[in-house]
Amino acid sequence: MAARLAEEWFAICGGCEVTILDIGEPLLDVLKQVEIVHMPVLMDHKLYGQTGEGTEMEIPAADVGLISGGIRSEEHKKLALEMRKKCKTLIALGSCACFGGVPALANQFTTEEMLEKVYRGSVTTETNGLPHEQIPALTDRVYAVHEVVPVDAYLPGCPTTPDMVANALIALLEGKPLPALSSKSVCDECPTKREKKAVSTLKRRLDAPDFKPGAPLSEMRCLMEQGILCLGPATRGGCGGSDGNPRCIRAYMPCEGCFGPLSDKANPMVDMMGALSSIGLDPKQIPDRAATFNRFAGAGRLRPTPRR
Amino acid sequence: MDAVENSITNTTETNGNGFEPLILTFCCYWCAYAGADLAGTSRIQYPTNTRIIRVQCTGMVHPNLVIEALTKGADGVLMLGCHPGDCHYLEGNLRAQARADAINLMLEDFGLEPERFRLEWVSASEGPRFAQVVTEMVEQVRKLGPSPYRTQ
Repeated sequence: MAARLAEEWFAICGGCEVTILDIGEPLLDVLKQVEIVHMPVLMDHKLYGQTGEGTEMEIPAADVGLISGGIRSEEHKKLALEMRKKCKTLIALGSCACFGGVPALANQFTTEEMLEKVYRGSVTTETNGLPHEQIPALTDRVYAVHEVVPVDAYLPGCPTTPDMVANALIALLEGKPLPALSSKSVCDECPTKREKKAVSTLKRRLDAPDFKPGAPLSEMRCLMEQGILCLGPATRGGCGGSDGNPRCIRAYMPCEGCFGPLSDKANPMVDMMGALSSIGLDPKQIPDRAATFNRFAGAGRLRPTPRR
Repeated sequence: MDAVENSITNTTETNGNGFEPLILTFCCYWCAYAGADLAGTSRIQYPTNTRIIRVQCTGMVHPNLVIEALTKGADGVLMLGCHPGDCHYLEGNLRAQARADAINLMLEDFGLEPERFRLEWVSASEGPRFAQVVTEMVEQVRKLGPSPYRTQ
């Protein structure tokens, strides 16, 4: 019998759904064993009956539930609770579902400040007032899914990797335990060369690092030592999949932290500021530290600067 | 991390009337802790609001610990190490100083007054100076009032 799969998306761009498609050939095998019962991005299954005649929210019972996106509105909250009720195993898909992701950068501001900026304050905005008809109320901040309902497994990444989605689905179909996340940091898995010299100035983010095109990564010098801010030290590894090397490093780009911090309690900003200042970098040089170091992990970590 | 938590949670500073600040002090083993010891054996009087955690070197006090202390209920954090040039590990105290800049920046992000954190140099022979720094810090924090993160 085919396993039943339900998927919901909340505050997200849709990239993680594309990742499911990006699994490639293994997807054909997976699809044979899966029956998708609810997936707004893919199929026309309405919550209150196809013509809106229903009175109660209907998400069919499923063996596996995937949720992508953080929780930003009361609707998301309600759907998350419903998904938890209907799915045996609930998986947070992508960094937004796992730790708020990019939308959670808005947690640096109060909801009023954010709405003011988006709908009134910005010079390029026509001020037509706030949208108010037929839309669910916003929550006070962006929540990660696990802050609202218990989650059984996390597949972080922005977007998450096809390997991880495929492995998780195949493990579930075969009744095996879900693969654990890596406990190593990105730096642990990074092949670049470290020369242990202090960094004194930061390069701009898009400045190209020094590397020989075509040469193996192990001949490139650590990007941080080259003065490019890299979140490797404070970020969970495992993004490279079977290749082993971190994805962004493979493209000669610094780690941005999309796999999230190494533990729930860690605050990447404090970790990174400590690490950078102790290798001789003037901490004042770091632009927008809170958002830079919590770019994907804002839920529960970023908040409006308290007024004294 | 556990030592930080215990020092804060196992302490009740309620004397019924008025606010008594709780100051967490990281003392390095080689200078400041000996300085604190000297203050004690010399019978120098100083406020009892401080809880001392001995560390090998101020260079090992990661900003994590300071932020953790201040967001879990300490009203102030003192970091005391050897004078520059005197560090047993050559430049641990200079590293601490570099981190102190980062800590001061981050206190703003957490909505805390920069005066709640102070890095000072106290040598093993400076008992009176240890007492003076602690007294100053306690008075300073008393003026600021309780940490916004304090729950009790």
